[in-house]
Amino acid sequence: MQLQDKYRIALLSAYALALHGFESLLPTPIPWLKLGLANIITLTTLILYGFRAALMVTLIRVVLGSLFTGTFLGPAFILSMGGGVTSTLSMGIVLSLMPRLFGPVGLSLIAALFHNISQLFLAYVLFIQRIEAILLITPVIIFLGTLTGSMNGIVSDMLIKNLKKTN
Amino acid sequence: MREKFKVQCSMFNVLVSIFLLFTIHYSLFTLYGCSSQKEKVYRKNTILMDTLVTITVVSNSKDSAEKAIDSAFFEIEKLEKLFNFFSSDSEISLINKNAGIFEVSVSPDTLDIIDKALYISEKTEGAFDATIGAVITLYDFYKKVKPEDGAIKKNLPLVNYKYVTIDKNKLTVFLKKKGMLIDLGGISKGYAADKAVDTLKRKGIHSGLVSVAGDIRAFGLKPDGMPWKIGIRNPRAKGQKDDILATLELRDMAISTSGDYERYFIHDVKRYHHLINPGTGYPAEGCQSVSVITTEGALTDAFATGIFILGPEKGIKTLEKMGFDGIIVDSQGKVHITSHIRGKVEFKRSS
Amino acid sequence: MNLKGLLNSTTIADRILLFVLILLSLSGIIFIKEVLPKGHTVRIEVNGHLVYLLPIEKDRIVSVKGSVGNTIIEIKDHKVRITESPCDNKLCILQGWIEKGSIVCLPNRVIVIISSQEDELNKRVDAITG
Repeated sequence: MQLQDKYRIALLSAYALALHGFESLLPTPIPWLKLGLANIITLTTLILYGFRAALMVTLIRVVLGSLFTGTFLGPAFILSMGGGVTSTLSMGIVLSLMPRLFGPVGLSLIAALFHNISQLFLAYVLFIQRIEAILLITPVIIFLGTLTGSMNGIVSDMLIKNLKKTN
Repeated sequence: MREKFKVQCSMFNVLVSIFLLFTIHYSLFTLYGCSSQKEKVYRKNTILMDTLVTITVVSNSKDSAEKAIDSAFFEIEKLEKLFNFFSSDSEISLINKNAGIFEVSVSPDTLDIIDKALYISEKTEGAFDATIGAVITLYDFYKKVKPEDGAIKKNLPLVNYKYVTIDKNKLTVFLKKKGMLIDLGGISKGYAADKAVDTLKRKGIHSGLVSVAGDIRAFGLKPDGMPWKIGIRNPRAKGQKDDILATLELRDMAISTSGDYERYFIHDVKRYHHLINPGTGYPAEGCQSVSVITTEGALTDAFATGIFILGPEKGIKTLEKMGFDGIIVDSQGKVHITSHIRGKVEFKRSS
Repeated sequence: MNLKGLLNSTTIADRILLFVLILLSLSGIIFIKEVLPKGHTVRIEVNGHLVYLLPIEKDRIVSVKGSVGNTIIEIKDHKVRITESPCDNKLCILQGWIEKGSIVCLPNRVIVIISSQEDELNKRVDAITG
């Protein structure tokens, strides 16, 4: 890994972390509902610098984020890690298999969907074993995730275009 | 460093978009209504006056809601002690024991409810009569025993509200004939609902619903700004106890329903129910159920009984004259309704 | 950023995916309640105090101590009944299986209520007269 790559990953992780922290300050009326702002950075990283860099940014963001908020290795950490890794993986796989099919918005939607599915699954396994409760909130969460996902995708798209221009 | 600067520039765009995201999210959150200060509905049940009492209140604190409900329950319990026909130390039993002998000093609540009962007897031409006790004790709806015709004939002269005298200044009640029995069963539940609402209001509750069996008094609005929705039971429900005939919305109103299905037995293909006609001593015919709507629970409770006994045609006329609303299901199952609430009652298609 | 630029930056697959996700999740929100078991709970109260709050989906038999003695309540196939009661009139047992509404045993001061979830409560009625 070159020094420039490390510098990029550090900078992007810092941005992801800032957004992640900012988001955690907001009250969440529905548990496990997040805007997923950090995914803006993950997606941008994935498209511009590749899968490895994106996964690094995600891992750094999740671990450091949980250390800052004092939830390291706690339940929130498990949910955050599961959601983060699954969504990054889903985007990476889709992008490598079908590079031209989806743009940033589509990728962001896929990320949001898999993020939510993995978190709902983890929440079911770890915390609430009432399948009907999970099924009841699943469409609501996926709907909200679709809205935030498309918004995040649009923002990523703008960010990528801006960064490409500067390069 | 140039790259870093550019990234920061584009971060401005990012921030603008984040702001957009928040506005969207915020409106979604308010839709889901999760703010903790919001008013909520609290409900408690208990058994009082030999029936299920349910009180629902709107409050922003669970603690104050439950305290208010408990004091309303306590108020009903107090009234139960005064009015209980079967308990020998109630004020009603004291009046009954001294029938034809003494006038009995009573508490203001007892005098008030008897005063109301006499007023309703007058307005229903004796169809509602609290002195029905002497005849109704002959029926046993648990053991399903039909009384001897002779026994009814013998006790019927003891049923007449005109033989009750009250003195509002001295707070006394006197039954003129020995053997007379006052039974407030046809008015006490509605009266208790009124008093419970008064208690809730005193405790700072501005919206709620008190139901003492089928006698319901509603005040204020639900947290969503809607009036309370009340279902009227289908008098000939098959199987399911909660089959609903119609629904209507109530605000600052009371509703009571008297039906021939509540307590009854079948003897020689005839239905013997608890709504005894004070004129004949036998169960009233002509109606399956009568619902009355007006501002006071004591009125709706007693009028529902009285109108049931008057029958559908005379019943509707009496209600219109009083300015009350009502829904009557006659013995053929046909629905009669007062003109004022026509169109405000929603009938279920299934029934 | 204008709408045209936004449309140009999304692929057809993006738009289809967005449309499908919104359609599926919205119809999910609307229909999942119909598909799911009704989520009713059985409240058992004695003397005005909540003793049990049980899901109606799970079959079981519970015994509660009332004012006179023990009342035995059975939950089976989304229905509830009282099987044994120390009261004289046994009206509560005679009432048989219920799917909604309540069973009240006055002598033993036991109330069994099948209550819908709070949000469903608003759709139905707040109280029943009669």
